[in-house]
Amino acid sequence: MSKEGYLLIAIIVIIALIAIFVISFVLYKKTPVPKGCEDIKISDEKCKGCSNTTCELNKNMEGEHHD
Amino acid sequence: MQYVVTFLLAIISSMLIDNVVLSRFYGICPFLGVSDKPKSALGMGLAVIFVIVLSTIICWPLFELLKLAEITFLDTVVYILVIASLVQLVGLFIKKYSPSLYKSLGIYLPLITTNCAVLGVVQGNSDMGLDFMSSLANGIGTSVGFLIVIFIFSCIRTRLQGPQTPKAFKGIPIALITAAIMALAFIGLSGMVN
Repeated sequence: MSKEGYLLIAIIVIIALIAIFVISFVLYKKTPVPKGCEDIKISDEKCKGCSNTTCELNKNMEGEHHD
Repeated sequence: MQYVVTFLLAIISSMLIDNVVLSRFYGICPFLGVSDKPKSALGMGLAVIFVIVLSTIICWPLFELLKLAEITFLDTVVYILVIASLVQLVGLFIKKYSPSLYKSLGIYLPLITTNCAVLGVVQGNSDMGLDFMSSLANGIGTSVGFLIVIFIFSCIRTRLQGPQTPKAFKGIPIALITAAIMALAFIGLSGMVN
């Protein structure tokens, strides 16, 4: 296969990876927390320095999203 | 037989001698943040093992494809996409089918996405030009090394919570001193495997 063929396959794979990431992110956010796990708590002090925006337990980041 | 021995030596080398936390200084954030209790450290370590091994298996053929297409400069982007997607999918699976596992491990999954040890292992494999089995050995060794170190560290931190620790040193200060002493101890293992 030529270099252009591999390049096309690579681009298709990267686009597929982006699509998988977006779909998995949306599905993860939409899936409800299991029963009995709603009261999982993390201390605010531990989350202070964390910049992870995908974590639903990080109350500090939720506040920033609403700003 | 020689191949098996080489594989095992590669695992031991990346686990102890070139430890991801104490020698290469990757994954310091979860190392300090999740090591206050041995149970949480164990959970974090097991989750990291799972993600690193799977990421290694998936990213190695992807890098070979990028090499064939001569776009290896996109390797970091591809690795980040794979790791983030993998963590999201694993979290989704656990959330839906195993509430007990979600209760114990679910809170660590977002931490693993930002754990630079995962990206560091995968990037290191491609930078060193390792073949598939060597990459897998590096992945297994690194992740098990992370588990060992974080578990030992959490056990030591539990003991240091007592009254013998001066008030000014309680918490992060004594943890950092402990980590430094552990790093010194692990330097003693260098040269164990030639």
